[in-house]
Amino acid sequence: MGNTSYVSLSLASALERSLDATAHNLSNASTAGYKAFRPVFETVESDAESASGNTISYVRDGGSYVDATQGAMMPTGNPLDLAISGNAWFGFEAGEGQTAYGRNGRLVVDVEGRLTTTAGNAILDASGAPIVLPGEVGQNIQIAPDGTITSADGSVLGRVGLFDVDYETLMHPIGQGLYISPLGAEAALPAENAKVSQGFVETSNVQPVIEMTRLIDIQRAYENSLKLLGEEDDLTRQAVQRLGRVG
Amino acid sequence: MKTLGIAATGMLAQQTNVDVIANNIANANTTGFKSGRAAFQDLIYQTMQREGALTSEDGTARPVGTDIGLGVQAAGVVRLNSQGGLLQTENPLHMAIEGRGFFVLNRPDGSQAYTRDGGFQLSSEGQLVSLSGYEVEPAIVVPQNTRNIEINQEGLVMAYIENDPDPVELGQLTLATFLNEAGMKPIGDNLLEATTASGEATEVSPGDPGIGAVRQGYLENSNVNIIQQITDLISAQRAYEMNSKAIETADQMMSTVNQIK
Repeated sequence: MGNTSYVSLSLASALERSLDATAHNLSNASTAGYKAFRPVFETVESDAESASGNTISYVRDGGSYVDATQGAMMPTGNPLDLAISGNAWFGFEAGEGQTAYGRNGRLVVDVEGRLTTTAGNAILDASGAPIVLPGEVGQNIQIAPDGTITSADGSVLGRVGLFDVDYETLMHPIGQGLYISPLGAEAALPAENAKVSQGFVETSNVQPVIEMTRLIDIQRAYENSLKLLGEEDDLTRQAVQRLGRVG
Repeated sequence: MKTLGIAATGMLAQQTNVDVIANNIANANTTGFKSGRAAFQDLIYQTMQREGALTSEDGTARPVGTDIGLGVQAAGVVRLNSQGGLLQTENPLHMAIEGRGFFVLNRPDGSQAYTRDGGFQLSSEGQLVSLSGYEVEPAIVVPQNTRNIEINQEGLVMAYIENDPDPVELGQLTLATFLNEAGMKPIGDNLLEATTASGEATEVSPGDPGIGAVRQGYLENSNVNIIQQITDLISAQRAYEMNSKAIETADQMMSTVNQIK
């Protein structure tokens, strides 16, 4: 096969990856705090293969990034549902002393009184320690915009940490709505320009219209790349037939 | 192409979502029912290229990895433990809890179950029982010839017998609270069970600080917000359709592959 086939093949495999990412985004359209995930493609240039000296460009996966834009705020009335407006992340315990970050503030109180996600990852305060609520308080808590948790009688029980993550679009997703900060990034600092809303959940920031358009785009580009492959095949076949007649 | 599998997890999640919403709507008029909401989480990511991998001998590293998300999963159904509206019934044996706590019932097998449904009745022996006939704990037995029953906000049950102008104390109702009420297991018949996730029941008295008061002659309505449920239903259906479109696209792309030659 000639170069054309490989160029269109590289495009087809990149588009398959793109389709997987779009399907993943669509399947998480109702996941609270989910951030859309986008693949990036890069060019691989090669001039050695071309007799005329023209460069040939192939496509390859360059990586993927997190689209950190704010999702919509959905009221739930649940006192343990928290949403962040602004540029910050909740910190969560992710096992082995690791800290992960996430925007899903749909919390529950576990049997030890810790505030955790539904998967059981404890939410952290600004110092990085889990937040433990005394047993008699239950869900009867108020959470201020700065994250301060108070009980009905006004005593302060702790403060939900809000973290600024450097290079947040480069965060590495580990599933369950959690992300770990990118390699080499500075330690996360308490965020200042963000506030917490109690009784709200941040919905997924996946925009259905954009993802559906992407589906169409991907499909048509895929058809084009394969058409190119088919035409290259036709050309080769014709060449073989004609040259065969000449001989 | 992993799209078929990824979109299937999305459709499965939306099915769970619709099931939970349907159960909420079906129980919109169930006494003491607490509405549930399906919570979702993104599934694990398959790493094709690790971020931080060296791109040159000089130590330049790839800033982003290539991760492929594998879809979504249901992480649980979270019950919204907010107060339901109080419905006046004027039945002296009906009680609603205004605030935190659960009534305690003894099941026939000796174990205990918990409920917010205070629509109680009397058994043939005059004992206070739930609509399923389970005895209320602690036992309250109403004597014959009782004219009227009075239950105060602290759960003290008093009976006026025959022509006696002074009431007789029949007993003190207690409530149960849990550290993690969302971790209790619903078992039908308006009952919940304690689990390891909810922790052990703590016995409390109605009207204690932070504990609900008992309202006689009222029932607690469900806390289902119908408008919210219907809007959730609409978005669940659309999300389901979008996932099916992803499957359709993958299918058509594979069919294109088959037509190359």
